[in-house]
Amino acid sequence: MSTIEAVVRPPSESRPSPTSPLRRMAAAWPTWGLVTTKNLELRRRRGLMIAVFVLILGPPVLEYGFRLLFHVVDPSTYGPAGTPSAFQDLLTPMVELGFIISVTVGAAAGTTDLTDGMFRHLVITGRSRVALFLARIPAGLAILLPVMAFAFTLCCLVTSFEGVPNPTAVSINNGVSVPVNLSESQFQTWIYQHPREAPEAFPRGPGHFVDDISVANGSTSSRYAAYTSVEATLNPSVNEMLKIGLWLELVVGVGFVVGLGFGALTGQRTVTTIVLIALQVIVTPIFDRAHIPFFINGQRLLVGVALDQLQPADLASGAGGGGGGGGGPLHFGGGGGPTGISPMPTWAMILVIVGWIVGWSVIGGWRMATRDA
Amino acid sequence: MSAIIIPSLGPLHLQVLILVLLVGGGVFFVLRRRRTRQREDGDRGTSSEGSPGAPGEGADVTVLGPSAQAVASTSAAAVAPEHSPRAEGAATGPSGRTRGVTFGDGERDGWAVETHGLTKRFDTTVAVDDVELLVSRGSAFGYLGPNGAGKTTLIRTLLGLTKADGGTMSLLDIPVPHERREALARVGAIVDEPRFHPHLTGRENLRLLAEARGGEANERIGPSLARVGLAERGDDKVSSYSMGMRQRLGVAACLLADPELLILDEPMNGLDPAGMHDMREMIESLVEEGRTVMLSSHLLDEVERTCDAVAIVDQGHVIRQGTIEELVHGAGTLVVRVECGDPSAAQQAIDRSGLAAGTSLTASGVTVTFRTGSSRADIDELTKRLVEAGVAVYGLQQVQTSLEDWFLTVTSRLGGEG
Repeated sequence: MSTIEAVVRPPSESRPSPTSPLRRMAAAWPTWGLVTTKNLELRRRRGLMIAVFVLILGPPVLEYGFRLLFHVVDPSTYGPAGTPSAFQDLLTPMVELGFIISVTVGAAAGTTDLTDGMFRHLVITGRSRVALFLARIPAGLAILLPVMAFAFTLCCLVTSFEGVPNPTAVSINNGVSVPVNLSESQFQTWIYQHPREAPEAFPRGPGHFVDDISVANGSTSSRYAAYTSVEATLNPSVNEMLKIGLWLELVVGVGFVVGLGFGALTGQRTVTTIVLIALQVIVTPIFDRAHIPFFINGQRLLVGVALDQLQPADLASGAGGGGGGGGGPLHFGGGGGPTGISPMPTWAMILVIVGWIVGWSVIGGWRMATRDA
Repeated sequence: MSAIIIPSLGPLHLQVLILVLLVGGGVFFVLRRRRTRQREDGDRGTSSEGSPGAPGEGADVTVLGPSAQAVASTSAAAVAPEHSPRAEGAATGPSGRTRGVTFGDGERDGWAVETHGLTKRFDTTVAVDDVELLVSRGSAFGYLGPNGAGKTTLIRTLLGLTKADGGTMSLLDIPVPHERREALARVGAIVDEPRFHPHLTGRENLRLLAEARGGEANERIGPSLARVGLAERGDDKVSSYSMGMRQRLGVAACLLADPELLILDEPMNGLDPAGMHDMREMIESLVEEGRTVMLSSHLLDEVERTCDAVAIVDQGHVIRQGTIEELVHGAGTLVVRVECGDPSAAQQAIDRSGLAAGTSLTASGVTVTFRTGSSRADIDELTKRLVEAGVAVYGLQQVQTSLEDWFLTVTSRLGGEG
């Protein structure tokens, strides 16, 4: 234990040894203590935390709360609370509000030291400014990700325990039943094992799911897309739930990092929040649905578009957007997002998302390192 | 057609969902537990302050808070740094406390602050203009100048808060910004008005800074708060603090580094007289421990009362620097008030002697302003001339020129030159 008045050392003893470049690089890495205090700093913002809980937990709690209540009071009029449609419908506001609140928290994390006048205190400590910036990433995610995980878990629990049990097979067309929860390879096997039922289940030609070309090519991709679209009306499987959960966490994580980086760049929380919310609720839907021939690659560079295309198949089908149309299985095994533009390859989606995460982290870190304190 | 029966939610589903919940809850739990432990550490630091087992033990330290309360008492000699000018028994200054740090000490012990040709521009405005500054270790140094003279900019440049446009600088003999981290490890500073996260408590704000500093800083939170008299209010939100309390919290933040050098920007700003008194005492006690305090101010009186040495800055440029005595005497304004029986005759005799630059009659005598470069021997000569002229001399009193008088003389001289 050292007391303030007892630890003054002579200058010769107190001089720290100069650090090597390697140690300096290590110093740019945030310590656990720094992360926890940054987390504390965010958690103690009561208004912000209330907003986090209301916007992320509010929709499932309200939706399922009322549905459960109505079902208990009058089961004959009100069916089980956890229907697949309720699950699907709930995820849309959860995604939108989740992104918005994560951007808001990110913007707060990126600007709070500046606006509160703490930045210069922190710089004077001699700690690497990059470390000060990087510490905010895990600190903020440690708040957002568990809350989103909890909200989504709530949805899954209600859907699973308070919903309608899933059938073992779905009826596609002409009374042909196909087992549920087949992967594409399992589905392919089923097609080969059922040469007579398959054409009946998936008739080809205009007005049907399956086009002639894919049948002629022996491709099952359009048949599988048709199968997943029907299957999506059922309760999602645990695999799908896991995929959707991870995708939700990804959306929240991306929103936070972008908000953090943009906030650090501008130094202004309000501007950052407004610009990024506008990006999410105005620009992204336009780019999602509009097909601008000379700007198609520009559209794809928007993180919201890439995230939408990466969303799991159940969610994409349920969202009922423009229909990506016939693309191969996406990263999470999806069949294409609800976009108006043709789907990107999975690697391109990942590249865009990683680019945004890394890009805004670098921009934010650079601005923090060069900003006058 | 084979039908596979899959229940909508089996044990595996449940396990995965519970796992998600546990991971989320676990992160919260770990963070909370760690925070609690840190708080407990901080509290232990407060409660065991001055305990026999502490480093520097055996020492009798008188800890002066802002209200000059003795928190613990012991002998200061064992505490002060070996090379501290204070510990070596320097001269006593006008305020009665240890004084007499000269600029020559820095050549032996190294400088706390050293700048050469330091320049900082904002577009066409030169905020810091070719500043040459030497601050010796263990002294209280005032950086004095009117508002807008570039005091804060110099401090911000020294601390690496903004980049210099030219020149070199070092803190505690460590060049900055090249080895900024090493240099700032033993530097505490308040720049501008001390501001903190208002939604956090004083203790939490300090914890934030302590974690950024690393090392033993966390252990110093409790003692630092006690030292500045905020132990009782440490768990209150900063938003409820007065300006004076924030200033004290700023000093506590400085103390987390166990600093050899404290740089305080306008530390008296916004303080009431009692607060100024407390702050002055705190600065004095810090210097007495062997720490160097560099403070900027536009308050001449405060600098004169608090500091051993001073640099006068105007429009970003250092006009003069030295000990206060050197500066005041360097102005060459030796003034003596003569009480005598016949003031008119005395004035004529003094004018004839050619010793004085000017004289003025008062009710009981004459006030004599000697020529530049005059010494105390000239006062003796003046007395002889008055006796030879037959003037009855009842008393001679040297008028002490204040730093303020000197400052006004210098600035008016510069104004006249301009």
